[in-house]
Amino acid sequence: MSDAVMGAAMPAARPVSRAAVTYNMDVVRKFTIAAMFWAVVAFLVGVVIAAQLAFPIMNLGLEWTAFGRLRPVHTSAAIFAFGGSALFATSFYIVQRTCHARLFGGEALHNFIFWGYQFFIVMAALSYVMGFSQGQEYAEPEWHLDIFLTIIWVAYGVAFIGTLFLRQEPHIYVANWFFMAFIITVAVLHLGNNVALPASFFEAKSYSVYSGVQNALVQWWYGHNAVGFFLTAAFLGMMYYFIPKQAGRCIPTACRWCISGR
Amino acid sequence: MHEQTSDLVVGLLVLLLGLVGLVMASGALDDAMYVFGLSLLGFAVVFDLGLVKRYFDRIDAAKAGSHV
Repeated sequence: MSDAVMGAAMPAARPVSRAAVTYNMDVVRKFTIAAMFWAVVAFLVGVVIAAQLAFPIMNLGLEWTAFGRLRPVHTSAAIFAFGGSALFATSFYIVQRTCHARLFGGEALHNFIFWGYQFFIVMAALSYVMGFSQGQEYAEPEWHLDIFLTIIWVAYGVAFIGTLFLRQEPHIYVANWFFMAFIITVAVLHLGNNVALPASFFEAKSYSVYSGVQNALVQWWYGHNAVGFFLTAAFLGMMYYFIPKQAGRCIPTACRWCISGR
Repeated sequence: MHEQTSDLVVGLLVLLLGLVGLVMASGALDDAMYVFGLSLLGFAVVFDLGLVKRYFDRIDAAKAGSHV
């Protein structure tokens, strides 16, 4: 479903007439619903593993439901599934409105980003429960899932940055710079921390090229900057659009033009 | 990008992923790779069938529009 926004809805401060742009709201809506779904899953698993700490019997004596396997399901579901889906949704929402352009890449690309990301989440969670993990916090997925996520992430970057190239505004709104920093830095972190040699093309087991203290250093270069750019920069991008929008006031230092009409 | 170009590029990429999944599943040495490979194949088949459906839906919509 699409949401048509007419140039006539622009604020009086910008009297430039424009053609109507049909935004792709379908992918935004799907990511928003997915974010809500994964929030429930993440918090539910969080409650279960918290209870397991107090009542070890809740591990059920099964390896699939043991704390060690469910804990990465909780963290990944909260950060990457819930947080990630929310960031996909809001970045696609914001970039279209602030660029006054439809999302780049066609509906097939947008659907691929959505369904591919959901597929990655499900496969990653399943692999944790089955006991397959790199054993690195927040970077648990094994090599084949890392490669699949890289493909999705590149598609995301193409859709987002491509939309900036299509913009009908001379200025790139500040929120979009934050989202670009998020996309590029997370790509660098993901690629840098997951350089690993698979035991075999047919085996979900790999060995990091970094060993010992180097591995620890690279892992937490990744871990801390993932917090900095996944959980901070991108959410700041979200805030830079929605807080001024809801308050009905622009941020003078960050906004050269009013977003109230977008 | 034109919708049909997008369909083609993404459709071929997903087709390739599906074939890789099939190969991975065929020689899998552990459960995780077997499940991932087969699931990737299933994902690719369903996704590409969805592209085909959307293509014919667009044609039907255009026909319905021209009859009005």
